[in-house]
Amino acid sequence: MASAVFPRQKTRFLPDINEKSPVKASLQRKEMKKPNRGSGERERIQTTTMNAGEIAQFRYSLHQNLCVSMLQEGFHRSFKEFFSLLQRWKADRLAAGPDSKLWLTHSLEEQPHKLEKLKEHLTRAEAAQRADQYVEVYESHLALAKFFSEPEDMWLRHHFYKLSLKAAREVKTDSSRREAEANAHLAHLYLERGDLELAQEHFEMFHHLAVGQSWQDESGHTHLFRSCESLCRVYTLLAQRQLQCREYLVAIQLLKQAYEMTKEAGDKKMEGEAAYRLGLAYQSMGNQTTAKQILNIFMEISTALGDMESLGKAYKAIAKSLESEGKISDAIEHLQKYLEVCQENNQHENLQDAYMCLGSIHISQAEYERSCEYFTQAFEMACSLDLKPCIQKAEVCLGIARAHSMLRAYTTHLQTNMPPNVCTLISWKETREDKFHEALRESAGFTHCS
Amino acid sequence: MSISPLANPKGTKKLCELCEKPAHLQCTNCRVTFYCDAAHQQADWNSIHEKVCELLISVRTPAPFYCFQADRDFHHMQSLKRLEHITELSHAAAKSWVSVGKYSEAIPAAQLSLRCAIDIYGPDVVELVPAYLLLAEANIGLGSLSQAESCLSQAEWMVMKNPGCSQTVLHLLHRTLGRLYSATGDYSSALLHFANDVYYASEEFGLDSVVTAGGYFLMANVFVKQEKTDIANSLYSEVASTWHAHLSKLMESYSQKEHEGAQYFDVAHCAEVNRMLSVLLEAQQQDVNTHPAYSTTLAHSLGQRALLSHSLAMLWFLCNDHKKALDFGRKAAEFSQQCEHNSLAESIQSLIQQAETHLKPEQTPIIHH
Repeated sequence: MASAVFPRQKTRFLPDINEKSPVKASLQRKEMKKPNRGSGERERIQTTTMNAGEIAQFRYSLHQNLCVSMLQEGFHRSFKEFFSLLQRWKADRLAAGPDSKLWLTHSLEEQPHKLEKLKEHLTRAEAAQRADQYVEVYESHLALAKFFSEPEDMWLRHHFYKLSLKAAREVKTDSSRREAEANAHLAHLYLERGDLELAQEHFEMFHHLAVGQSWQDESGHTHLFRSCESLCRVYTLLAQRQLQCREYLVAIQLLKQAYEMTKEAGDKKMEGEAAYRLGLAYQSMGNQTTAKQILNIFMEISTALGDMESLGKAYKAIAKSLESEGKISDAIEHLQKYLEVCQENNQHENLQDAYMCLGSIHISQAEYERSCEYFTQAFEMACSLDLKPCIQKAEVCLGIARAHSMLRAYTTHLQTNMPPNVCTLISWKETREDKFHEALRESAGFTHCS
Repeated sequence: MSISPLANPKGTKKLCELCEKPAHLQCTNCRVTFYCDAAHQQADWNSIHEKVCELLISVRTPAPFYCFQADRDFHHMQSLKRLEHITELSHAAAKSWVSVGKYSEAIPAAQLSLRCAIDIYGPDVVELVPAYLLLAEANIGLGSLSQAESCLSQAEWMVMKNPGCSQTVLHLLHRTLGRLYSATGDYSSALLHFANDVYYASEEFGLDSVVTAGGYFLMANVFVKQEKTDIANSLYSEVASTWHAHLSKLMESYSQKEHEGAQYFDVAHCAEVNRMLSVLLEAQQQDVNTHPAYSTTLAHSLGQRALLSHSLAMLWFLCNDHKKALDFGRKAAEFSQQCEHNSLAESIQSLIQQAETHLKPEQTPIIHH
């Protein structure tokens, strides 16, 4: 029947010279066979060494070969995963358009080592999953996530962290340690990406699972400590975002949570810093008494730790609170302490800052002489440290303070309007010497007395 | 009507339509088809000739003499069109024979379709591949593997010569090749070809399409023969979920469109799907019988059985066989009640209700008579 299938040959007038007549063919075969059987055998060996798989390697793309070999071994889930990941990348790229950054990056298909790694771990995971060994599933997904460490592969990392979390939930024997770790990984990724809410959710899960367990990571910290630390960071970041929108109440709530976390973590330094931030938030809301209380805690912690820089910060912050409450003398006292602390510990930049603060508080109290002194010191300090913006600021402040201090004498000269006064004014205007400013004051005092 | 080969004019050979031997019989209706004996004529008549007898006349009679080129061109175009029509007709007929499982009936139709395709497109082109594949499939079904192999190697060669041919063609080619190798018992080659089939199908139709699921199903059958039941089971469940999703979607569109009109499955397709789903269901039942110990697998398999019965119920519902739909729907409800967390119960209930409402008007006239 088969002969009927193939095209009907039109009969030709002359026989086709290319056509093999059966007689000829059989003759040729005999000739071929007889002289050297060895070569025939060799040929056979050569042909057998090249199997279908090897041919496929040359003919098709690596992507296709990997897919086919996975399917051939029955790893259809891996294939699905692999295939959909590549498709997703393509779709993302198309959606992003030719102007985007994604358009120029290398596709996965151009990076054979990544494809092979993917295949290796995916198949291992599937084999393990078939045998209900979720620990290994978790580990191979985690290995994949860690393998894709480059920033451009973040979406893959995200995907595999998610999968590892899923696998970890199935592991029943380790009292959810792996689940906690998977949550932590995922949360760190979200934090890196800037999805603070998601990060918060997963860190909270991590914390919830880590409570009451004594798990430790490679560096010797407990998981609980890590979770508290990370949560504190996330809460702080969230609070900062709220502060920018001037949502003080929400921000304070978050900062309080952060503070609680640091307390739970038991790290005094972190606790102090959290307290400082909370204090500042209260300050910006206007609740000075609470702010002071909390800043005092910060101060105590700093003194206990001997952290002089933080102590200085504490004094400064408390001084600010006191100033806005109107207790200027107390504020000045605290600022003096700040100054002392800085001087004792050779913190030059903070010292400069302290001088500036003192200068401004005095200028606000109309004590121009004092403020002049402080500003001069600040200016000198800034010059010696070569801090451009600070130099400029100090210059301007100093100028303002001097001007203020001269203003009274100057106006009295103008008001008395006697020839000597006018002369002094004129001579001052000509020279504009610094010394004159004291002379002016003296003469002003003189005129007052008379 | 009988003819004698010796009485033919010189140079013209009348050959049998099926086997290409010298012909002794002529179809009295069209007078352009010849057969070596009555058996072949009967076979051809049953398979396809009945449908195309009239059409063949105009195609096979030699062109009358036309004076003008325009007339000749017109005639040529006309006959090409007719040929195309015949090709399509015979292809469809062969396909439906194959899917029903009557392979010997399929072969004459497949042959005719191939022959017409060659007349249209010439001997070595990709367009012939589907016809070759169909013929090969019929031959595999009949068990004449060498014939099938020769057809397939023809097809493979054509594909090889045309590197840019479509994914659909490649997918079909590999599927048929896989079928051939699983019939010959060369399971590793069969798997290789099915793997390629799935790859091309998912490139063309997407990962979740039923076409891809068909490839998975064939692969799973090979794994069953290799006695790798765990792999086969995971593949089966994949197929089941794909089909379930597909059928649910169809059901949804059915209920949205309110009414029939649109036919979702033709008879052949329905039979094929039914066969596949029944195999899946049976495999699940066997699985339970062989491994009764694990409670987890039991729950899993109950879920699977509910899923499959539901799929079958939906299938029969869409094929307008409401009685069967009701039967399977009840079965599905039973299974889903047994397993603990069932998300299917609701849709199963609604399906049963729909089937009942359809059944009532069908039954009432019977009661009256």
